[in-house]
Amino acid sequence: MSLSDSAAEALAALDELEKAGVSAFAEAANSAAIEAARVEFLGMKQGRLKTAQERLKSLDAAAKRVYGQRFNAVKTALEAALEGAKSRGSQIASAVSDGFDVTLPGHLPKLGHRHPLTQTADELIDIFGRFGFAVARGPEVEDIHHNFDALNIPPAHPARDPLDNFYLSDGLMLRSQTSTVQIRVMENQPPPVRVIAIGRVYRPDTVDATHSFMFHQIEGLMVDKGVTMADLKTVLRLFAASYLGKDVKIRFRPSFFPFTEPSVEVDMLWHGGDRWVEMGGAGMVDPNVFRAVGYDPDEVTGFAFGLGIERLCMRRHGIDDIRLLYQNESRFLSQF
Amino acid sequence: MIVSWNWLTDYLRLDMPVEQLTERLALAGLNHESTEDVGGDLAIDLEVTSNRPDCLGHLGVAREIGVLFNRPVKFPNPQPPTSGANADTLTSVQIEAPDLCPRFTARVIKGVKIGPSPFWLRKRLETLGVRPISNVVDVTNYVMFECGQPLHAYDLPKLADKRIVVRKAKAGEKLVAINNKTYEISADMLVIADGQRPVGLAGVMGGLDTEVSDQTTDVLIEAAQFDSMSIRRTSRALGLFSAASYRFERPLDPEATDWASRRCCELILQTAGGTLHPGVVDVGTQRPSRQPVTFRLSQISRILGIAIDRPEVLRILQALGLTHDGGAPEAPIFTPPSWRCDLEREIDLIEEVARVHGYEHIPEDRAVPLTTASRSPRERVETEVRNTLIGLGIDEAVTFSLVADEYAVPIDPAEQGEPVHVEHSSRKRERNLRRSLVPSLLAVRQHNEAHGSPNAEIFEIANVYLPRPNQPLPEQPTRLAIVTGRDFLGLKGVVEALLARFHAEKNFRVRPAQVPLFKPGRSAELLLGDQRLGFIGEVDPSVLKALDLREACSAAELAFDLLQNTADLVPRYQPLPSFPVVARDLSLVVPRSLAWGELAGAVGRAGGSTLESIVYLDTFQGGNLPEDRQSLHFGLRFRHPERTLTGDEVDESVRSIIDTCSTQFQATLRS
Repeated sequence: MSLSDSAAEALAALDELEKAGVSAFAEAANSAAIEAARVEFLGMKQGRLKTAQERLKSLDAAAKRVYGQRFNAVKTALEAALEGAKSRGSQIASAVSDGFDVTLPGHLPKLGHRHPLTQTADELIDIFGRFGFAVARGPEVEDIHHNFDALNIPPAHPARDPLDNFYLSDGLMLRSQTSTVQIRVMENQPPPVRVIAIGRVYRPDTVDATHSFMFHQIEGLMVDKGVTMADLKTVLRLFAASYLGKDVKIRFRPSFFPFTEPSVEVDMLWHGGDRWVEMGGAGMVDPNVFRAVGYDPDEVTGFAFGLGIERLCMRRHGIDDIRLLYQNESRFLSQF
Repeated sequence: MIVSWNWLTDYLRLDMPVEQLTERLALAGLNHESTEDVGGDLAIDLEVTSNRPDCLGHLGVAREIGVLFNRPVKFPNPQPPTSGANADTLTSVQIEAPDLCPRFTARVIKGVKIGPSPFWLRKRLETLGVRPISNVVDVTNYVMFECGQPLHAYDLPKLADKRIVVRKAKAGEKLVAINNKTYEISADMLVIADGQRPVGLAGVMGGLDTEVSDQTTDVLIEAAQFDSMSIRRTSRALGLFSAASYRFERPLDPEATDWASRRCCELILQTAGGTLHPGVVDVGTQRPSRQPVTFRLSQISRILGIAIDRPEVLRILQALGLTHDGGAPEAPIFTPPSWRCDLEREIDLIEEVARVHGYEHIPEDRAVPLTTASRSPRERVETEVRNTLIGLGIDEAVTFSLVADEYAVPIDPAEQGEPVHVEHSSRKRERNLRRSLVPSLLAVRQHNEAHGSPNAEIFEIANVYLPRPNQPLPEQPTRLAIVTGRDFLGLKGVVEALLARFHAEKNFRVRPAQVPLFKPGRSAELLLGDQRLGFIGEVDPSVLKALDLREACSAAELAFDLLQNTADLVPRYQPLPSFPVVARDLSLVVPRSLAWGELAGAVGRAGGSTLESIVYLDTFQGGNLPEDRQSLHFGLRFRHPERTLTGDEVDESVRSIIDTCSTQFQATLRS
């Protein structure tokens, strides 16, 4: 049996009435408002419920029964809402009392803001710390040995080009990568090693929205007996899951870095996205690097990875111009 | 490197969708940049890493595809017909700089007819985005894009004495290159010369005078090897980059030189006619043959964490062109091909096997052993400094380490001499490594003022760089700097709050100091005991003016190491006192020249063991006090650890304080 159109319409009107009435009572903030809502919905002469009751007469017998039941339910709900508003109303006081306005803004203490780059760096230190990586540091003004020789970058390698590096006098330079710290750590301690190095690096790129001549890197190094590329992939997947969320995949693409062999680019894909995003480089520590620091490559193996902190930070916060990070405008910093 | 789909099909069957091809190539090391439809052909742009110059030609890419899709690759074997006199009777080659040019080959073709290339050749070059010029020139380009070896064709009769000399340039020599620009060649650059003058910048670009023109009939075909460093230096020094220099900057296949020359001649005969003269003028040395590599197969799982079985290893390496030269079953010996100069060691072979087998086979769910890593004091202090300062309303900044001269001033007046500086054309102004963070933060404040954000309060934790002539590296201490619109005491309070946070306030004191950045009289050295913590002061108006700052501000810079070393990160509990404190206030009239610090020191010494603390309250001057006198008002708190002090005992201590101050500072009680 189906109800006539007019009966269906009448029922819909009842639903609408209940919704409007309940919300009117809920929003009534003082006794005057509660009384106004009572007159509008439950008023004995012209209340909307009264009007709805009169509609009963125009329906046929079958519709009458359905409509009647629904009407009673709406009436009960509205009466309950009125009672609720009344009991609440006894606690409602005027916003302004004794000349004091509680809606005035609070006396806001001035709070400073952490720079988004150091927030990102701290988060990375925190995540890798939980994986057992301790923070290592090294000088930003480096010698050629630590920046190139010990990293298996031969004298003829294009990476040493004076146009692509900031050389100082006396065989010194601004480090072009945090891998220099790997060398300093391994020179000073026997294996096992599990460290991350974090800090500023310098390359004479032309500054634009995505390039800066100074930026920050985080580099991880793990050396021990039996460390494999599967460990590398595991650590990076755990990192990605921790930093970006569980729903993330990683993949390796072959690449070339003088200090790792095999070398890979690390791509990540998350939240069901359709595009792999390059996150950094990684690989197994080259035997020549081990020899340069006095480790025996037949004794230990190790992996290294490097990520750009600016890229991670910008992606995380939706920052579209790297220069904003170094201008330090209050209007920018106060957003973090 | 752009490759043409149709061109690749000359060498092997391509029946897979292009997306499948590029995906597989990307996952094996040739990253896919883009694919474009060029008039029915596909131009596939692949990123070639610097260790793989073999993939800077279609043959190399075809070989990779053959390995990845396990299918045969067919390479041309050019054997162009020859006739007439031997080439060495028509020209000669002399290498005067063998270290920069290990090998130079020349072939001679006479009677060519210059004209447009046939359609297929023009089409292929156009797919790569290369403009067709004429049949002979197009063929030299085509063969370069086929095998990676650059070639050059000279108009033979235009070469003085019809000979080639490979030498370093002489002082003052110039060359008009085929791009119509004149280059002044310096003496360290390698040139190709004829009997009289340079006719080309070796490996970079040929000269205009001897290039192939519409009237050319006899050509000399150059296929040579050059030192990659030398090519790169020349190319960069002149700002002249070509497809040839791009390839010569990398170690090319030494065996490809002659093949490329023959292939070039074969295609010239096909497209421009003429007669190839027999023989080749081949000067220089052959490179030593490749050394065999022993491959311990057990190393695969040791490095990769997965095993790859022996037949698959053999298939991959042989398909890549390595020859299997015996060896033990578990340690076969391989000799790499001439075009893979990047393969020299066992680890290089492991990478080859890994990338072709596929990194997707390496698992990512290993149980990495647990180990501890505690946060170092450095990390903990850094975090707490940041949290404390933002709690005090100060924003954190990150600024550049390289600064212009006017920002390179040190904060320490004793720091003499010049800052360390970089030598780079892109940093002519901001070339100095900073010696203080304060000028950088003043620049941030200025930037904010200029962008409608007055009174930026900022701090930064970063290194400064101090030249130390007798040490291997400059000193690179970490500093904490703060710049704020607060006045001297406002900022000093921030520093004191920070020290209190680390329970490091005990031996804190200041000493007046002359700091060039700061106003005289509003400038001090910060000390912890006898060690210098840093400097604080109100920025001098002349500095504000020079840096275009409108509002007054103060700055402080602290040695992070000292702060870290003094910080008490694990304070010990002190039992709460069980006996009450007795408080007294004093107002002493003393000379205006007396510093509070001096008075407080004397009070502390005179107050005896029960004096727990001294609290400065205020200073009063004027009123009925003489011009040269002031009243210092302060509170004293007395307590005995084991009993309640009597009023008499406290009175006795206070009297001793007043007596001492009266003797030392002519102090009188303010009535």
